[in-house]
Amino acid sequence: MDDVYAIEMLSITKRFGSLLANDHIDLRLKKGHILAVCGENGAGKSTLMSILFGLYEPDSGIIKKDGAEVKITNPNDATKLHIGMVHQHFKLVDTFTVLQNIILGEETIKEYRGHLNVFKRCFNWLNKHLFKIIDYQRARAEVQQIIDQYDLRVDLDKKVKDLSVEMQQKVEIIKMLYRKNDILIFDEPTAVLAEQEIQGFLQILRNLKKEGKSILFITHKLNEIFEVCDEITIIRKGKSIDTLAVKDTNKEEVSAMMVGRKLDMNQTKPSPVTGNEILRVEHLTLVDPNSKKRIVNDVCFNVRAGEIVTLAGIDGNGQQEVVYGIAGMKKSQSGSVFLHQEDISSYSVRKRIQAGLSHIPEDRQKYGLVLDYSIYENAVLDRYYEKSFSKCLFLNQKSIREYGDELTEKYDVRSSGDGSTVVRSMSGGNQQKIIVGREIERGVDLLLAVQPTRGIDVGAIETIHNLLLEQRKAGKAILLVSLELDQVLALSDRILVMYEGEIVGEFTPDSVDKETLGLYMTGAKKDKVNAIKENGHE
Amino acid sequence: MNKIKSFFSSFFKKDETKTVVTSLWCALLGLVLGFVILLCINTKEAADGMATILGNFFVFQNADDRWNYFGQTLAKTAPLIAMSVSVLVCYKAGLFNLGASGQYSIAVLVITFMGVAANWPWWLVMIGAMVAGALWSMISGVLKAFFNVNEVISGIMLNWIALYLVNGILTANSAIWDSSHSEAYKITDGSNALIPSVGLDRLFAGNSIVGLGMILILVVTIVIFVLFKKTTIGYELKATGFNPDAADYAGMNKVKNILVATAISGALAGLAASLQVQNGFTSWRLSSTIPSIGFQGISAAFLGGLHPIGVLFSSYFIEHISEGGSMITDLGFAPEVAGIITSAIIYLAGFVAFLKEMIRKSEVKDELRRLSRDKAVKK
Repeated sequence: MDDVYAIEMLSITKRFGSLLANDHIDLRLKKGHILAVCGENGAGKSTLMSILFGLYEPDSGIIKKDGAEVKITNPNDATKLHIGMVHQHFKLVDTFTVLQNIILGEETIKEYRGHLNVFKRCFNWLNKHLFKIIDYQRARAEVQQIIDQYDLRVDLDKKVKDLSVEMQQKVEIIKMLYRKNDILIFDEPTAVLAEQEIQGFLQILRNLKKEGKSILFITHKLNEIFEVCDEITIIRKGKSIDTLAVKDTNKEEVSAMMVGRKLDMNQTKPSPVTGNEILRVEHLTLVDPNSKKRIVNDVCFNVRAGEIVTLAGIDGNGQQEVVYGIAGMKKSQSGSVFLHQEDISSYSVRKRIQAGLSHIPEDRQKYGLVLDYSIYENAVLDRYYEKSFSKCLFLNQKSIREYGDELTEKYDVRSSGDGSTVVRSMSGGNQQKIIVGREIERGVDLLLAVQPTRGIDVGAIETIHNLLLEQRKAGKAILLVSLELDQVLALSDRILVMYEGEIVGEFTPDSVDKETLGLYMTGAKKDKVNAIKENGHE
Repeated sequence: MNKIKSFFSSFFKKDETKTVVTSLWCALLGLVLGFVILLCINTKEAADGMATILGNFFVFQNADDRWNYFGQTLAKTAPLIAMSVSVLVCYKAGLFNLGASGQYSIAVLVITFMGVAANWPWWLVMIGAMVAGALWSMISGVLKAFFNVNEVISGIMLNWIALYLVNGILTANSAIWDSSHSEAYKITDGSNALIPSVGLDRLFAGNSIVGLGMILILVVTIVIFVLFKKTTIGYELKATGFNPDAADYAGMNKVKNILVATAISGALAGLAASLQVQNGFTSWRLSSTIPSIGFQGISAAFLGGLHPIGVLFSSYFIEHISEGGSMITDLGFAPEVAGIITSAIIYLAGFVAFLKEMIRKSEVKDELRRLSRDKAVKK
């Protein structure tokens, strides 16, 4: 076996505040191979790739290219070492043509190649340093050669904004090749592609490999890994778990390693006492207005009083959009939502809230809070108009303050001052406690909780878990969206796995293990599911 | 001692204090720049010129003259206050009212018809002006709310439409158009449409343009202050301005809020027109440029730290130096120089936000330096 490594990242450690994003990670990419880097959300893949591309500097650890140690402190260093990266969000100038985008920053400058020696020197010097007239003809020829060599057909004169996502990705690839990069990093390239486009992309990867490029492929879709990759490095919670040759392993093993076989959190919870149906979602379909893709496709399920139903899945498979559809923040294409048997599909957000829906949104800073408002003002964000907080257009400051104090006390919200502290200055965990407290205190029967513990410290996570379980005990219906399997297994009574906008599996936490969930989440397995459960039919 | 120190440090860390301090800096910077310009034009007279600008009515020896011109400055401040509050209301709701001049123009048109031609009572004319301003402003609001047209663009367009509309309609009506002066007839003394003086004219040495309007604008400013501080409407508008996504999430009606903000804002621009025209001092002049008061309102709003009370002072300051500036022609400066100076000062007002950011950044830097020093000491 030839042990020539194109890239070696040895014992890379990177810490963000209290978060250890990369903990002595090792990664070795062989020359001319495709290495898959896979792991759950937040496992540290993107951080690692950002370090390789010079966006972050590691706290410790070394990077070697072709066996020699190199320092990469910014993307320019990476470019000089011929390391290229296609980011998840493309970095293209919309209003430029494809050709302009490809040569941007590496423009071919016109050269005079005649015989007038003095003129030639003058002109070329001036043009190189001053005028910088671009030689589109030569640039086009060079780009065309790349296109032919790798079979990447793109119309060079079209503007990028007129291209499909698939084509834009090709432009990004050509851009890397034009810069003569031999190490190519792809950050979840297939997340934005449709099924048949993915096949085309994988073919491109094979072509690149044939031409001797070394490729790092970040993904959590196992099917793709097993189709094109040579090795897999699995990362979990900031640590590199193992590197395996694809031919010596199988999907089950990889997905088990991805999610970890660690014991579940030792939280005992009583079996559910389910009551009446609170929420029923029938054939809900949401279409993305830009890509016209169905982000939620014909989803059916219900949530009964006293149970926690979880939408599990990898980020971006439509879970959040289901909640937006229920809360009325995004218009559904078709389908209906029933709350207490009442069809609320045509209601405004306000009317749905009044009908008895509370919602802990996924992004607390974007949706859940007005960061420039105080704790008091945020405590009544979705109920300031209620009789207890206002009287004919005037806010009742006193009752708002009393209520805010009560909330901070009960939910242990800590800030540097009293309730008039602006929430922007507070920590994420405390911000989240305001939202959780506010939504629970509304005392309605349905709670939508989207990633309620995202980005907060362990102590606050535990508090929020306990609060959710208390609500369940109190007979509320809870719809949880979570990306963390530990949390899913610890809290749910029913788990619905979503993949590409559809519910592909339904489980109870004691009848399923992480490995199986992993298979469903990555699309390796699929069932046809209608997750509406009637009482007594279980 | 420490107590006093901590009081001062917390006082200076307060956001309101910072805004006041930066506004004062901007005003001062503007004055310095103005002085430099004067120096460039005429070194000898520069100091006198600056004194005149700053002194305004103080340059008069006679006490009566002083009161008279003080009253005039105050009376001219009133419409500017209305204008800057108009800008402020939209800004708080996350909109930028660049169309205030257009709303003002349309209101002037309505006043000329209702006041000069029909001789209706002043309060009715004033309400008419406010309604006209509100409706004109809501064109931008509707475009924004239903078609997501940027309110800045539509506001600018509507400014020009309003300008030529008013020019066209007024010049075509010989009953109200004084073609020898190429302006509309003013509201004459004794007319119903004149805002009453309620005795204030006697206080200001018989200057008849001083009147109820000044008191009215104070009341309106306080109403707006209360609206944002105490009411659910203000709560919603501010939430929408700070974070439209959160406002959506909380079920606030975006369309309603945009319409409410633009309507209030337009009504205030209409009020500005009423305060400007209904004292009989000025009227619509034929012009091919948009009335500058809308833009001065933006400067005054920013210089006033986007706070209703701050706006009272900034508007007065701007009007004070504008009036003073118009007097330096006596010292041999070209009348345009006054314009240059005052606009230099006014434009620097736009630096308030920028300066505030600089102060914040330097504070962060200090904090970082302190932290690293602490670390070094520990080592």
